[in-house]
Amino acid sequence: MQSRSLIVLRLATAAIQEVGTTPHGRLSIFPIIGGSFEGERLRGRVLPGGGDWVTTATDGTFELDLRATLETDDGALIHLTFTGARDDANGYFRTLPRFETASPKYAFLNRLLAVGIGEIRPDGPVHTIEEIL
Amino acid sequence: MNTRLLMMLQVKVAKPQDLGAVPHGTRRTVPLSGGSFEGPRLRGTVVAGGSADWQVLRSDGVLEMDLRVTLQTDDGALISMKSCGLRHGPPEIIAAIARGETVDPATYYFRTTARFETAHPAYAFLNRIVAVASGDRRPEGPIYTVHELL
Repeated sequence: MQSRSLIVLRLATAAIQEVGTTPHGRLSIFPIIGGSFEGERLRGRVLPGGGDWVTTATDGTFELDLRATLETDDGALIHLTFTGARDDANGYFRTLPRFETASPKYAFLNRLLAVGIGEIRPDGPVHTIEEIL
Repeated sequence: MNTRLLMMLQVKVAKPQDLGAVPHGTRRTVPLSGGSFEGPRLRGTVVAGGSADWQVLRSDGVLEMDLRVTLQTDDGALISMKSCGLRHGPPEIIAAIARGETVDPATYYFRTTARFETAHPAYAFLNRIVAVASGDRRPEGPIYTVHELL
Protein backbone atom coordinates (compact mmCIF):
# COMPACT_ATOMS: atom_id res chain seq x y z
CA MET A 1 0.00 0.00 0.00
CA GLN A 2 1.12 3.54 -0.76
CA SER A 3 1.25 6.55 1.50
CA ARG A 4 2.08 10.22 1.26
CA SER A 5 3.62 12.48 3.88
CA LEU A 6 1.03 14.58 5.70
CA ILE A 7 2.54 16.21 8.80
CA VAL A 8 5.15 15.90 11.48
CA LEU A 9 3.37 16.58 14.77
CA ARG A 10 5.32 17.67 17.84
CA LEU A 11 3.49 17.65 21.14
CA ALA A 12 4.30 19.37 24.40
CA THR A 13 2.81 17.60 27.38
CA ALA A 14 2.38 18.56 31.03
CA ALA A 15 3.03 16.33 34.06
CA ILE A 16 1.39 12.91 33.71
CA GLN A 17 -1.80 12.33 35.63
CA GLU A 18 -1.48 8.79 36.98
CA VAL A 19 -5.04 7.63 37.53
CA GLY A 20 -3.81 4.20 38.61
CA THR A 21 -5.09 0.72 37.96
CA THR A 22 -8.66 0.66 36.74
CA PRO A 23 -10.62 -2.39 35.52
CA HIS A 24 -9.02 -1.88 32.07
CA GLY A 25 -5.43 -1.55 33.23
CA ARG A 26 -3.20 1.28 34.38
CA LEU A 27 -4.49 4.60 33.11
CA SER A 28 -2.05 7.47 32.60
CA ILE A 29 -3.22 10.78 31.13
CA PHE A 30 -0.76 13.00 29.29
CA PRO A 31 -2.26 16.51 29.04
CA ILE A 32 -1.31 18.41 25.90
CA ILE A 33 -0.23 21.99 26.52
CA GLY A 34 0.95 22.88 23.04
CA GLY A 35 3.04 21.86 20.11
CA SER A 36 3.33 22.32 16.38
CA PHE A 37 2.71 20.53 13.12
CA GLU A 38 4.27 21.00 9.74
CA GLY A 39 3.69 19.47 6.34
CA GLU A 40 3.54 20.38 2.69
CA ARG A 41 -0.23 20.99 2.79
CA LEU A 42 -0.79 22.28 6.34
CA ARG A 43 1.11 23.72 9.24
CA GLY A 44 0.35 25.45 12.50
CA ARG A 45 0.21 24.95 16.21
CA VAL A 46 -1.37 22.55 18.66
CA LEU A 47 -3.78 24.26 21.04
CA PRO A 48 -3.60 23.48 24.73
CA GLY A 49 -6.37 21.30 26.09
CA GLY A 50 -6.10 17.88 24.50
CA GLY A 51 -4.47 14.81 25.88
CA ASP A 52 -3.49 11.21 25.42
CA TRP A 53 -5.31 8.67 27.56
CA VAL A 54 -2.83 5.81 27.79
CA THR A 55 -3.81 2.42 29.17
CA THR A 56 -1.15 -0.13 30.01
CA ALA A 57 -2.44 -3.54 28.95
CA THR A 58 -1.67 -6.74 30.85
CA ASP A 59 0.92 -7.68 28.21
CA GLY A 60 2.89 -4.51 29.00
CA THR A 61 1.92 -2.67 25.83
CA PHE A 62 0.29 0.74 25.80
CA GLU A 63 -3.03 1.55 24.18
CA LEU A 64 -3.21 5.17 23.09
CA ASP A 65 -6.30 7.35 22.79
CA LEU A 66 -5.42 10.91 21.87
CA ARG A 67 -7.48 14.00 21.19
CA ALA A 68 -6.02 17.32 20.17
CA THR A 69 -7.04 20.52 18.40
CA LEU A 70 -4.78 21.80 15.65
CA GLU A 71 -4.87 25.41 14.48
CA THR A 72 -3.45 26.06 11.03
CA ASP A 73 -1.38 29.14 10.28
CA ASP A 74 -4.38 30.54 8.39
CA GLY A 75 -6.79 30.07 11.29
CA ALA A 76 -8.63 26.79 10.61
CA LEU A 77 -9.32 24.44 13.49
CA ILE A 78 -8.81 20.70 12.99
CA HIS A 79 -9.97 18.06 15.42
CA LEU A 80 -7.42 15.24 15.57
CA THR A 81 -7.94 11.92 17.28
CA PHE A 82 -5.91 8.78 17.21
CA THR A 83 -5.76 5.37 18.75
CA GLY A 84 -2.58 3.41 18.59
CA ALA A 85 -0.28 0.76 19.94
CA ARG A 86 3.03 1.27 21.67
CA ASP A 87 5.11 -1.79 22.42
CA ASP A 88 8.46 -0.68 23.81
CA ALA A 89 9.77 -4.27 23.95
CA ASN A 90 9.63 -4.36 20.15
CA GLY A 91 10.24 -0.69 19.45
CA TYR A 92 6.78 -0.42 17.92
CA PHE A 93 4.85 2.84 18.24
CA ARG A 94 2.17 3.25 15.58
CA THR A 95 -1.01 5.28 15.47
CA LEU A 96 -4.17 5.59 13.35
CA PRO A 97 -5.04 9.30 13.15
CA ARG A 98 -8.39 10.73 12.03
CA PHE A 99 -9.16 14.35 11.24
CA GLU A 100 -12.30 16.46 11.28
CA THR A 101 -12.61 20.00 10.07
CA ALA A 102 -15.26 22.40 8.83
CA SER A 103 -12.76 24.37 6.76
CA PRO A 104 -13.30 23.85 3.01
CA LYS A 105 -9.58 24.31 2.38
CA TYR A 106 -8.72 21.39 4.63
CA ALA A 107 -11.82 19.25 3.87
CA PHE A 108 -9.53 16.69 2.21
CA LEU A 109 -8.56 15.68 5.75
CA ASN A 110 -12.13 14.49 6.39
CA ARG A 111 -11.81 12.04 3.52
CA LEU A 112 -8.56 10.27 4.28
CA LEU A 113 -7.20 7.63 6.61
CA ALA A 114 -3.72 7.97 8.00
CA VAL A 115 -1.01 6.16 9.90
CA GLY A 116 1.56 7.58 12.27
CA ILE A 117 4.97 6.55 13.50
CA GLY A 118 5.58 7.80 17.02
CA GLU A 119 8.78 8.54 18.79
CA ILE A 120 9.49 9.79 22.31
CA ARG A 121 12.09 12.56 22.26
CA PRO A 122 13.50 14.41 25.26
CA ASP A 123 11.30 17.41 24.46
CA GLY A 124 8.14 15.37 23.92
CA PRO A 125 6.46 12.96 21.53
CA VAL A 126 6.87 13.37 17.77
CA HIS A 127 4.47 11.71 15.34
CA THR A 128 5.25 11.37 11.64
CA ILE A 129 1.83 11.08 10.02
CA GLU A 130 1.21 9.81 6.50
CA GLU A 131 -1.93 9.75 4.43
CA ILE A 132 -2.94 6.28 3.19
CA LEU A 133 -3.32 6.61 -0.57
CA MET B 1 4.83 3.46 5.25
CA ASN B 2 6.23 -0.05 5.39
CA THR B 3 3.76 -2.88 5.50
CA ARG B 4 3.61 -6.65 5.32
CA LEU B 5 0.69 -8.71 4.05
CA LEU B 6 -1.37 -10.05 6.92
CA MET B 7 -4.32 -11.60 5.09
CA MET B 8 -6.92 -11.39 2.41
CA LEU B 9 -10.29 -11.17 4.11
CA GLN B 10 -13.38 -11.89 2.09
CA VAL B 11 -16.70 -11.30 3.80
CA LYS B 12 -20.20 -12.22 2.67
CA VAL B 13 -22.90 -9.69 3.34
CA ALA B 14 -26.47 -10.48 4.36
CA LYS B 15 -29.51 -8.26 3.76
CA PRO B 16 -28.69 -4.71 4.89
CA GLN B 17 -30.73 -3.02 7.59
CA ASP B 18 -31.54 0.52 6.43
CA LEU B 19 -32.06 2.67 9.49
CA GLY B 20 -32.44 5.86 7.50
CA ALA B 21 -31.61 9.46 8.37
CA VAL B 22 -29.91 9.83 11.75
CA PRO B 23 -28.23 12.99 13.06
CA HIS B 24 -24.84 12.05 11.56
CA GLY B 25 -26.04 10.93 8.14
CA THR B 26 -27.82 7.93 6.65
CA ARG B 27 -27.27 4.83 8.70
CA ARG B 28 -27.17 1.30 7.34
CA THR B 29 -26.08 -1.85 9.15
CA VAL B 30 -24.79 -4.71 7.03
CA PRO B 31 -24.65 -8.03 8.88
CA LEU B 32 -22.07 -10.53 7.71
CA SER B 33 -23.25 -14.03 6.94
CA GLY B 34 -19.77 -15.53 6.72
CA GLY B 35 -16.51 -15.35 4.87
CA SER B 36 -12.93 -16.44 5.04
CA PHE B 37 -9.41 -15.12 5.51
CA GLU B 38 -6.04 -16.39 4.40
CA GLY B 39 -2.53 -15.15 4.97
CA PRO B 40 0.97 -16.42 5.71
CA ARG B 41 0.40 -16.43 9.47
CA LEU B 42 -3.33 -17.00 9.88
CA ARG B 43 -6.29 -18.43 8.04
CA GLY B 44 -9.82 -19.43 8.84
CA THR B 45 -13.42 -18.31 8.60
CA VAL B 46 -15.61 -15.38 9.55
CA VAL B 47 -18.06 -16.16 12.34
CA ALA B 48 -21.56 -15.03 11.41
CA GLY B 49 -23.53 -13.34 14.17
CA GLY B 50 -21.94 -10.37 15.85
CA SER B 51 -20.00 -9.59 12.69
CA ALA B 52 -21.35 -6.60 10.80
CA ASP B 53 -20.46 -3.31 9.25
CA TRP B 54 -22.13 -0.28 10.81
CA GLN B 55 -22.16 2.37 8.10
CA VAL B 56 -23.04 6.04 7.98
CA LEU B 57 -23.25 7.91 4.70
CA ARG B 58 -22.12 11.41 5.64
CA SER B 59 -23.42 14.69 4.25
CA ASP B 60 -20.17 15.11 2.31
CA GLY B 61 -20.81 11.88 0.42
CA VAL B 62 -18.23 9.83 2.30
CA LEU B 63 -19.31 6.43 3.58
CA GLU B 64 -17.92 5.85 7.07
CA MET B 65 -17.61 2.24 8.09
CA ASP B 66 -17.29 0.60 11.47
CA LEU B 67 -16.62 -3.05 10.76
CA ARG B 68 -16.50 -5.57 13.56
CA VAL B 69 -15.68 -9.14 12.68
CA THR B 70 -15.04 -12.27 14.69
CA LEU B 71 -12.46 -14.44 12.98
CA GLN B 72 -12.00 -18.11 13.78
CA THR B 73 -8.66 -19.58 12.78
CA ASP B 74 -8.27 -23.09 11.39
CA ASP B 75 -6.79 -24.12 14.74
CA GLY B 76 -9.72 -22.80 16.73
CA ALA B 77 -8.63 -19.37 18.00
CA LEU B 78 -11.13 -16.54 18.08
CA ILE B 79 -9.89 -13.12 17.03
CA SER B 80 -11.89 -9.92 17.30
CA MET B 81 -11.16 -7.41 14.57
CA LYS B 82 -12.43 -3.86 14.65
CA SER B 83 -11.84 -1.58 11.74
CA CYS B 84 -12.76 1.93 10.68
CA GLY B 85 -13.07 2.69 7.03
CA LEU B 86 -13.82 5.37 4.48
CA ARG B 87 -15.23 4.88 1.01
CA HIS B 88 -15.80 7.58 -1.57
CA GLY B 89 -15.32 8.22 -5.25
CA PRO B 90 -16.80 9.68 -8.40
CA PRO B 91 -20.64 9.58 -8.29
CA GLU B 92 -20.90 7.27 -11.32
CA ILE B 93 -18.55 4.74 -9.71
CA ILE B 94 -20.38 4.81 -6.39
CA ALA B 95 -23.68 4.42 -8.28
CA ALA B 96 -22.30 1.38 -10.14
CA ILE B 97 -21.31 -0.22 -6.82
CA ALA B 98 -24.80 0.48 -5.48
CA ARG B 99 -26.27 -1.29 -8.52
CA GLY B 100 -24.23 -4.38 -7.63
CA GLU B 101 -21.71 -4.08 -10.41
CA THR B 102 -18.07 -5.11 -10.13
CA VAL B 103 -15.92 -2.00 -10.32
CA ASP B 104 -12.14 -1.58 -10.56
CA PRO B 105 -11.09 -0.80 -6.96
CA ALA B 106 -8.49 1.66 -8.25
CA THR B 107 -11.31 3.99 -9.34
CA TYR B 108 -12.47 4.86 -5.79
CA TYR B 109 -11.05 5.26 -2.29
CA PHE B 110 -11.84 2.36 0.03
CA ARG B 111 -9.41 2.09 2.91
CA THR B 112 -9.68 0.81 6.45
CA THR B 113 -7.52 0.65 9.54
CA ALA B 114 -7.80 -2.26 11.93
CA ARG B 115 -6.93 -3.46 15.40
CA PHE B 116 -7.18 -6.98 16.77
CA GLU B 117 -7.81 -8.64 20.09
CA THR B 118 -7.23 -12.26 20.96
CA ALA B 119 -6.56 -14.37 24.04
CA HIS B 120 -4.85 -17.10 22.02
CA PRO B 121 -1.05 -17.16 22.59
CA ALA B 122 -0.28 -18.22 19.00
CA TYR B 123 -1.89 -15.03 17.71
CA ALA B 124 -0.91 -12.64 20.52
CA PHE B 125 1.22 -10.68 18.05
CA LEU B 126 -2.04 -9.34 16.63
CA ASN B 127 -2.79 -7.55 19.92
CA ARG B 128 0.33 -5.46 19.45
CA ILE B 129 0.04 -4.25 15.88
CA VAL B 130 -2.06 -1.86 13.86
CA ALA B 131 -3.15 -2.75 10.36
CA VAL B 132 -4.26 -0.97 7.22
CA ALA B 133 -6.35 -2.38 4.41
CA SER B 134 -7.55 -1.58 0.95
CA GLY B 135 -11.03 -2.69 0.04
CA ASP B 136 -12.62 -3.99 -3.13
CA ARG B 137 -16.43 -3.95 -3.04
CA ARG B 138 -17.69 -6.96 -4.94
CA PRO B 139 -21.39 -7.73 -5.37
CA GLU B 140 -21.25 -10.61 -2.87
CA GLY B 141 -19.27 -8.61 -0.32
CA PRO B 142 -16.02 -6.73 0.12
CA ILE B 143 -12.55 -8.20 -0.13
CA TYR B 144 -10.01 -6.55 2.15
CA THR B 145 -6.28 -6.84 1.60
CA VAL B 146 -5.04 -6.36 5.14
CA HIS B 147 -1.46 -5.33 5.86
CA GLU B 148 0.38 -5.12 9.13
CA LEU B 149 1.87 -1.66 9.59
CA LEU B 150 5.56 -2.31 10.26
